[in-house]
Parts: sequence; structure tokens; C-alpha cells
Amino acid sequence: MKNKSLIKGINIFLFLLPALILFFGILIAPIFMSGYYSFFDWNGMSSAKEFIGLKNYTEMFTSNSIGFGKALKNSLLLAVLSVFIQLPLSLGLALLLGKGIKGERFFLSVFFMPVLISTVVIGQLWLKIYNPDYGILNVILGKLGLENLQQLWLGDKKLALWACFVPMLWQYVGYHMLLMYAGVKGVSTDLREAAMIDGATQGQVNRYIVIPIIKPVLRVSVIFAVTGSLKAYDLIYVLTNGGPLHATEVPSTRMIEMLFQRNRYGMGSAMAVMLIILCFIFAMIISAVFKEDR
Amino acid sequence: MAKNKSNTAYVSDIDQYNLKKTSPVAKVFIYIGLAVWTFVNLYPLFWMFTFSLKSNEEIYGLNVAGLPQNWLWSNYPEALRTGNMPRYFLNSIIITIAAMAITLIAALMATYALTRIRWWGSKLMNSIFMLGLTIPLHASILPVYLILSKLGWLNSYQALIIPYSAFSLAMAILICTGFMVDIPKDLDEAANIDGCGLWGTFFRVILPLTKPAFATIGIYSFLQSWNELMFANIFNSKGDLKTIPVGIQAFQGQYLTDWGLVGAVLVMATFPTLIAYVFLSKKIQSSFIAGAVKG
Amino acid sequence: MKKVLATLLAGAMVLSMVGCGGTGAAAPAETAAPAEEAAAEEKTEEAAPAEEEAPAEETAEAADGEGVTLEMWCIATESDSNRHSYEAAIADMQAAHPEITFNWEATENQAYKTKIKAAVAADEMPDIFFTWSCAFLGDFVDAGRVYCLDDAYQNFKDELPEVMLANSTYDGKHYGVPLTMNIVGLFANMEILKEAGYDEVPGTYEEFIACCDDLKSQGIIPFGCAGKETWCVTEYLESVIEKSVGADALNDIFLGRASWNNPDVAAAVNTFQEMVTKEYFDPAGIALSNDEVKANFMAGKYAFYMNGTWNCADFAADPNGFGDKVQVAEFPVINADKSKLGQLIGGPSDTLAVAASSPNAEVAANYAFELGRLICHYGYLDGCGLPAWTPYGDTSTINPLTQAVSDICANADSYVLFGDTAMNADSANTYLDYVGMIYGGEISGEEFVEGLTNDIG
Repeated sequence: MKNKSLIKGINIFLFLLPALILFFGILIAPIFMSGYYSFFDWNGMSSAKEFIGLKNYTEMFTSNSIGFGKALKNSLLLAVLSVFIQLPLSLGLALLLGKGIKGERFFLSVFFMPVLISTVVIGQLWLKIYNPDYGILNVILGKLGLENLQQLWLGDKKLALWACFVPMLWQYVGYHMLLMYAGVKGVSTDLREAAMIDGATQGQVNRYIVIPIIKPVLRVSVIFAVTGSLKAYDLIYVLTNGGPLHATEVPSTRMIEMLFQRNRYGMGSAMAVMLIILCFIFAMIISAVFKEDR
Repeated sequence: MAKNKSNTAYVSDIDQYNLKKTSPVAKVFIYIGLAVWTFVNLYPLFWMFTFSLKSNEEIYGLNVAGLPQNWLWSNYPEALRTGNMPRYFLNSIIITIAAMAITLIAALMATYALTRIRWWGSKLMNSIFMLGLTIPLHASILPVYLILSKLGWLNSYQALIIPYSAFSLAMAILICTGFMVDIPKDLDEAANIDGCGLWGTFFRVILPLTKPAFATIGIYSFLQSWNELMFANIFNSKGDLKTIPVGIQAFQGQYLTDWGLVGAVLVMATFPTLIAYVFLSKKIQSSFIAGAVKG
Repeated sequence: MKKVLATLLAGAMVLSMVGCGGTGAAAPAETAAPAEEAAAEEKTEEAAPAEEEAPAEETAEAADGEGVTLEMWCIATESDSNRHSYEAAIADMQAAHPEITFNWEATENQAYKTKIKAAVAADEMPDIFFTWSCAFLGDFVDAGRVYCLDDAYQNFKDELPEVMLANSTYDGKHYGVPLTMNIVGLFANMEILKEAGYDEVPGTYEEFIACCDDLKSQGIIPFGCAGKETWCVTEYLESVIEKSVGADALNDIFLGRASWNNPDVAAAVNTFQEMVTKEYFDPAGIALSNDEVKANFMAGKYAFYMNGTWNCADFAADPNGFGDKVQVAEFPVINADKSKLGQLIGGPSDTLAVAASSPNAEVAANYAFELGRLICHYGYLDGCGLPAWTPYGDTSTINPLTQAVSDICANADSYVLFGDTAMNADSANTYLDYVGMIYGGEISGEEFVEGLTNDIG
């Protein structure tokens, strides 16, 4: 008997082994390294590093020139926009297409296309779209006689973050849509049929039957959108790299600046740890919200 | 699988009936909305294609929106000469496919151990893996660099394949879990009685039943690996190991302002994937539907 | 030849003041410079003609490099204006040293900074690497990751004046091979100026401002500046500050010898900001990168463009003949009591260094010097900057723009190195942040000075 449970244990371990190696080697070990470095004032290369306790963490939220607070606010705004604009749009499309409509396949394919494009390409493409002189956006506005609507899309402090959000939306709506669409398609037809026979409208069927059933999908989408916003980097890097005047800074751009431009490795590590903690907290909150609803 | 198919057919029957019930006015609005969104999705790509065939004179002469006056195909060979796009493409494909495969295998095995085998730590272990969802890739550049350098892996395909797999793992396990939990426990027991061990059950019973999840996991993993810029930039600095994002980002400098050349590079980095997708879209979609996230 | 020599001497005179002290604030080259300068003068005159014959064949008693493989990282990507000089130099080196296998790769500027720092942290550097002088290289030197070039320099001291090493000298030891040196130039599109009724770039500040007003009233944008890359703003701002408070005062501030708390600096910053608020600058510039602004300038959108003189190469090589339209000048003096013509922003910054971890550091050191000399040579011929090394060969083909820069440098009184190169990484970025806020009109000159005094000192 003992032997059997030992074999079982070994088997469990073997099943977990590839994931464990990847997970602890590439994800967990670096966190502990970052956590350790975050207590030091260190430039990342010299052998001398000074232990300063939690000073990096306090400075992060108090110093204006570090700007972590503002970056965090920006990324939370992106998260809110994602959850309340991007996801409803995706859900709407998913419900519409999921209900079976002429050209369903075509629309599905087209809406998913941006997902397949590399973020850097999307960034470069939107840079061109937003170009103040020759970008298609301002040119079309000009041709429509709407010169007063022409903007320095990425150069205006007030607009830039929104201008960064649009390509993000454009890129990921299709992904969320397909996730949700798959969920919608999985809803048992008996349920729908029964509701329809009882005289429920299309909207009521969606509201009371489909959406509750695809809740697990929605949870995954919300977690993905929120943590994705907190972790956003590549697109911002290509579009504005945090500018103009730090208007589009997100935690990751600040972190990269600390790590590699300012040589403040300790501070950069502290930001990394903070970011992980924040993502974790948000993931917990989202899961809790979805559980309560159930 | 067969059951699934008949199900879908049934669904569409019902749905046709539903749509008929929708009022014609609403229908018009629905199609207008869909058409607008289709335009929003396709027009930037079309525009990218048109400006890839224009010269700067044409752009600066404010023929920004229209079709090119002279179709400047020469932008393409020129862009090919300056960068090494085919090579970057190949690298990206190799790295992405390998990362997808590793993610899939590791996630399936781990999820099996976490959901189908009863043991004391499965819940805890699952929570630990879920931590991975929250870790930003960029937060670990230097530590991962140090680890890879200790392993002597810098400037190799595995320098990207392994980290990409690791960073897609948590999501993949989450998706898989939804699936494996739904498979009736009786199946394991039946397999056990038939003399299958844990491995036998995994390969012969669980894997085939989890197949629908592959596409969902695959696409998530694809997104992670195909787009990633920072790791690729730093871990693989050798010219012939560059991936598409690095290649495009490197194509800066004076070319940034040469619209035609930039356009040509962007098109070359995009259209092969899109064309492949158009051919495979039906398959991808149906496996996606079959592999819907469950919880 | 003479002209260039004069340039070098002028450089020699003042570069001594610029030296970066590594950790300490002291400038090590300061006391040694005058003697070096004299030596350089003699040696250059002797050595230069001899060099003309066969520069590439000289192997400089390099240590036996049989079967050695060397690796180099740099930023000369396909689109970089220095690309050609690197390619030509490397081709020459490979021909001269078939026994050494040389591999190199170029990374785009921004990404390169991240890459090289990660490599330094992990001690995974290539044998030879490109670096910026002063603070950037200084951090690597402090970490003990850079090979000292004092021994190898002995083989090349006849062709490379020691003052040119000042920016890569720390605690009296040399760690870098300088390539080219550049200053900030005021580029003017003469075609536009002529149409507006100006035959030359106005020489005094009052005339210059009047000219800008005039251009504006005619609907021409005077300046283009890339707000997306803050260093481009500093090219303007530093010139304005220098021509208001004088080179010595600015140098002391950059090198940490004096506080930012200086009302004259605040006034100068206000002067610059006034130029912004009077809309001398293209408002679209804030969203553009430098390459886009430069392309706009070349397309005739602005009358003036202030940027590094490395641009001469691209301007001169423009297939649409932009090189004939453009002239380079020095920014006019704003406060004649404190500053004068000849006070410039710039100095040797592009540098090659050798990794201490290189198994063939000695071979690499000699290789870096030889390669540096060739890159400098071809770069100078291409117009990518003025040579840090004594020039050789036929230099008559050099484009007139670079010649003009050379003339400006020949009359140089003193140089102040680019602020973000002179300061350590953390301070430099803080400084750039404040410069950005000035350009964006968020703070005044007084707040600029106050903020920097608090954050840097």
C-alpha cells in the first residue's frame, strides 16, 4: 500500500515536472531575485550595493520624479476602459454572431484579424494613422471639412492616453469576442428554446440565460483585460514611450526606465514586485466578485 | 465529437428561426453596425497596403488616403534588402510553434495531475500556478537574463522558447482546468479497471477528450510569443536570431520617415499570417468553439 | 589639413575642462592637459603624413591574435548614418587581420542601452562594445567591467591626442577609444531664408529673434524640434543657456561642481521658453520623433533645425540636393558679458570600449584602437562628425557642411559636453524630465532651477 502511494506520488511529480521547471525557473525565481534586490540601492552592475530596507517602496509613491503613482493611475484608467468599453463591445459582437446571423463566419474571421498582427506592427501602423501631417485620421478629417477636429493625437497631453487605448481596443476586441463567442455557442439549445417558447425576448435570453452561463469566460476576459492593462508595455513603448510629458506612462515604462535608463536597479525591482502584488490583488478581487455573483 | 456536431446543426436551425423573428429595422441596424466594425478592422490594413506602394512624394503631396498613383512595387525588394524579413519570419515561426507546443504539453500534464488525481496539495498547487497570471513579463528581464546566461542559453532559440512557454503556462493551465474538471470521473475509473495506469489514462482517455482546448490555449500562447519585443531584443541579439517585432523595431532611423518602405515591411510581417489565417480560419474557429473556456 | 589640425588644437585646449571624473567630481585630465596638448601638436604633425600611405597595414605590434574570435556590439544599424563607416572600417580590418575572426552586430539605439546594461550586469559583454563617454561608460568602469586601455594606447598615442580621451578617462586611466566628436549646430534652410529676405543666418541674438518673428509673420515655422525625444530639446536649451551664462558656468553645473541654483540659468530657461510660447517651434513637433522632424526640415517645413553635426552626412547625401540648400552656423550670443562666440555644446562621445571579461582583452584592445581609427576616418569622410583621431588621406572630398563645422570648431573657445552624457544616468533622466516640462510649458525657469537643485543639487 505504502509502495503504491509512493508510486502515485512519483507519478504526480512527473506530471507536474515540466510545468514546475518552467514555472519556478522562469517565473518564481526571478520574483525572489527582484524581491531581494528591491531592498537595495544598487545600479545593477557594481559589486557594491547598499541595503536600504523599504526605502525604495516609500520613495516610489512619494517622489514625483519617480512618477509611479501617476503611471499606476494611467494603467487603472486603461483597465477601466478595457472592462467597460472593450469587453462590452466584444460581448455584444459575440452575442450577435453567436445567435447565428448571415455572414457569421465572415464577420468572425474579419473581427479576429487584428489579433494576429504583431503588437509592434500595430504600433507602427497607428503611429502612421495618428501622424499629425500625413496620418489618415487628420487627412480624412480635413477632407470632411472638420479641420477643427484635427488633433496632435499622440502629442496632446490630454488625448494621448486615449489615443493609445484605441489601438489596444482594436487589437484585442477580436480575441475577447472569440472567447465569448465560443462560450455563447456552448449554451445548451434546450435552454434557449425553452425560454423562447415561454415568450422571452432575445435580450432577455441573453441577459438571464446566456450571460450567466458564460460567466467563467467573462471572468477570464476580465482578469486578462485588467492584468493586461497593468502590465501594458509594448504598444505604449512603440507609440509614445510614456510621453508626451509622461502623460502615457504606465508602470512598466517607469520600471524599464528605472532599470535601464536611470541605473536604479533596486527601484526597478521594487516596482516589479509592486506590480506583481497589484496584479495579484486585482485578480483576487475579480475572482471574488464573480464568485459572489454565482 | 459526433454529438457535438449534431448539436451545432441544431443550434443554427433554432437561430435561423430567431433571426426571422428579429424586426427588419433592427436587422438593418445590426448589419450597419457590423459593417462599420468590419470597416474599422479592415481599413487600417488596406491603408497600410496602399501606402506601402507609395513614395514619400506622394504622401507629402497629400495623396494619403487614395490609391497609389504609381504602384511602387520596388519598395518591397528594397525593404527585403535592408532588413532580413524572411529570416525573422522563420525565427518567429520556429519560436512561436515550439513555445506553443511546450506550453500545451506542460499545461496538459500539470492540469491532469492537479484535477484528475486526488492528492493533498492539488488545490494549493493550482493556486500557486495561478499566481503566474499576474506576473508581468517585463518585471523579470534582468533575473531571467542572469538565469539564461548561467545556462549558457543566450542567443539561441531556447532563450526565447522557454521563457515564452513559462509565461503562457498559467493561462494555459487555467483554460485546461475548465476542461478536465468537466470530464466525468467514471472515465478514469473505467480506464483504471481496464488496466490503464495514470499515464495510460492520461494519453488514452483524457488527452483525446481535452483536444478541443488546444486551439484556445494555442492562440493565447501564440499571442504571447508572436508579439513579444523586450525579451527578444535583449536575449537574442544575434542578427540571424531576431524575431519579427525586433526586426521591425530595428527598422527605424531614416526609414521611419520613408512611408513606403515602412509600409512594405509592415505588410510583409503581417500578410503571410493573415493569408494563412484566412485558409485556416474555419478550422481555428470550430476548434475554438469546441474549446470554449469553462470554469 | 591645417584647418583640421587647428580644430584639434582648439579641441585640445578646452576639452581638458570637460573630463569626466568617474565617481569623483574632479576632472583628471585638467592638470595634465597643457603638456599633452603640446605633445599632441608635435606628434600629429610628424605622424600624419606618414599615415597617409598605408594606414590599414599597420598592425601596431598587436599581440599575436592567431585564431582569436572577437565580438563587437554597436548601434550602427542599417539605417544609421554611421553604418557605412563601420562597414568600410570592418572590411579593412578583416583584410588586415585575417587571423582574427571578427563578428559584429548592431542594435537600435534605445534597445541597445537596455541590452548593454543587461550584459554588463550579467558579465556577458562582447569583447568590444560601443558606448557613450562620460557617465554612461563611467558606471561600467566603476563596476570593474571595462578593460583599461593604457597599455594599448601607447601604440597609438602618436595618432590619437590624449585630450581626446578625456571623456573616457577615469581616475587617470583610459578606458575608451573615441571615434568622432560632434557639436550642436544651427542648421538653416537657406532657400527658405532667402525667400523670406535673408541672405545669411542672422549673427546676433536680436537679429535672430527679429528674423524668427519675421518668418512667423510670413507663415514659416522657424524651428522644428522632436518633443518625443527630450534630448532634441536639450540641443536647443543647452545652447541658449550656454550663450546666456557662459560655458564655464554650465560646465560646472553639468559636472556637479556648482549647484543648479543659479538665477542666470533660470532666466536663460525662461528665454528658451519664451521662444516656445511665441510659437517659434512647430507645435506638431511634440508628438514627433527626431527622424520625423529631420525629414520635415529636409522637406522644407522649417527654417532652422538645431541638432548634432552628425546630421551633415545625411543632409549632404540627400538625393534631392538638400545639401546645397542648408548651412550650418553657431547659435548667437545672448549675454555678451558672460558668453561669447566659440562656446559650443559637444565633444567626443561615441566611444569603443573593451570588456574586462574578454579572454583576449589585449588583442581586443589593439583591435579596438585600429578599428576606431578607421571608423573615425571613414566617418569623417562621410560627414558623420569631426575626427577625434588625427586625420589622414585625402580629406578634400569632405562635404562643405562638415567643413563649415570644422571652421566653427577651429574658432572654438570652449566646449560643454551634452548634459545627458555628462551627468550620471539618474540625474540625466531627471534633468531630461525637467527639460520636457519646460518644453511643454508646465513649469517656469525658476521652478526648473528649483526642482533640479532639490533633485540633483
